[in-house]
Amino acid sequence: MDRFENAADGGDARREMSPSDPAASAAVFLEGDARADTTVMTREVVMEYRMGMAVIRALDGIDLTIPTGEYLSIMGPSGSGKTTLFNVIGGLAKPTAGSVFIDEIDVAQLDAGELAWLRCRKIGYIFQSYNIVKVMTALENVTLPMLFAGVPPDEARDRGADILRRVGLADRLLHTPRELSGGQQQRVAIARAFANRPAIILADEPTANLDLRTGEEIIHLMKEMNREQGVTVICSTHDHKMLDISDRIVWMKDGRIDKLARREDVAIEVSHMAEK
Amino acid sequence: MKAPLETHPKPEAWQIGRLRLRPRLVFAMAVNSLRLRISRTLLTVLTIATASAFLIFLLTLPAQADPAEREGWLLMLGLCLLVSMAGVLNTMLMSITQRYREIGTIKCLGALDGFVLGSVMVEAALLGLVGAGLGLLAGTLLALGLGVAEFGGAAFAHLRFDGFAWKAGLALLTGLLLTTLGAALPAWIASKMPPMEAMRGEK
Repeated sequence: MDRFENAADGGDARREMSPSDPAASAAVFLEGDARADTTVMTREVVMEYRMGMAVIRALDGIDLTIPTGEYLSIMGPSGSGKTTLFNVIGGLAKPTAGSVFIDEIDVAQLDAGELAWLRCRKIGYIFQSYNIVKVMTALENVTLPMLFAGVPPDEARDRGADILRRVGLADRLLHTPRELSGGQQQRVAIARAFANRPAIILADEPTANLDLRTGEEIIHLMKEMNREQGVTVICSTHDHKMLDISDRIVWMKDGRIDKLARREDVAIEVSHMAEK
Repeated sequence: MKAPLETHPKPEAWQIGRLRLRPRLVFAMAVNSLRLRISRTLLTVLTIATASAFLIFLLTLPAQADPAEREGWLLMLGLCLLVSMAGVLNTMLMSITQRYREIGTIKCLGALDGFVLGSVMVEAALLGLVGAGLGLLAGTLLALGLGVAEFGGAAFAHLRFDGFAWKAGLALLTGLLLTTLGAALPAWIASKMPPMEAMRGEK
């Protein structure tokens, strides 16, 4: 199978972006020289699951370099390994072989306390099924990661309220998930993911459970946060609307990277198809 | 050209932090969890209180003249105690296993294994102590009330309140052990679970 080396793409990445865009500075790195401007790097990542007697290879050698501030979409049919890759990058599951580097740190080396720090401070997670703690209010959900990080409760409450206001939930601070719609719950999840000003946002099909319009709003909210804060966003999705706002798109198939393209190139492909 | 596969040493320039276990946050989380699930909390407290009340009632039961009658009482109360004990164990087990998904989520947010285990165990211990304390009060009052109703002032002579501190301590300890034992295994399993697996658990 034709395996794309991510670096081939990174090497000539000259984007048409404003200089203020944090991704722009990351756009000119070369392979082997990927240091300060690289947020995530995976090398030969293999993930195998045992299912009874059978061994299932969910990831089959993933090489991916993701520069700081990039908005990367991962597409592919279900069962292609999107979620597994997401879990491995997020330090939620250990790969069978290969390495994952986050800001140059090999995740496999971290002990429990450091891994918890990574999950708490460096990464924000957004899930398909929101995963808001049901018994807590929106504000409590957003303050929790800050409390874990050691932010004093009063400050956490103020900051939590600010972020919730930012995602458009100013009048929903004290509502529990039961009193919120799916889109509102996902906004809480986004606020929670951004609570500790992470370096990476990992979103696993964030719009899959939402209607078209709400999904679009969520996508744009994530893009805005990506632009404002220079956060690297890695988003697995089925949703073609995501392509428009992504910097690069990865297509996965059978646990491998099937194709990797920049948004501009995808746009050309689509227009070609339209001409035919 | 590929980066080597071996694990790299951590670069010095980039300092990774480490989260510590914060006992106050563990305690706050446990109290908050009890508050947020108030109806379940009250129900569990009631079950524990029943067990503890039975126990203290049994221990202070007057030595009857008729040994057969006394034995009958002891058997019945003993069975009631066993049933309420099973109830407490079951309630604790359920309340933790139902929370796997929530536990997976908070681990994604930075909760340490020790935080998960600690907050659940503190929660169980609080439930056990408060429940057993209330049961102790109720059981003692019941024993006194029934005794006074039947024997009048003479009840105080008949009821075995000797070594009451020891008996009360036993009732409290029973409550504590019931809840913590019921919670220990599922809490330990949940705390060791990788976050993703825990989140899948309840779907």
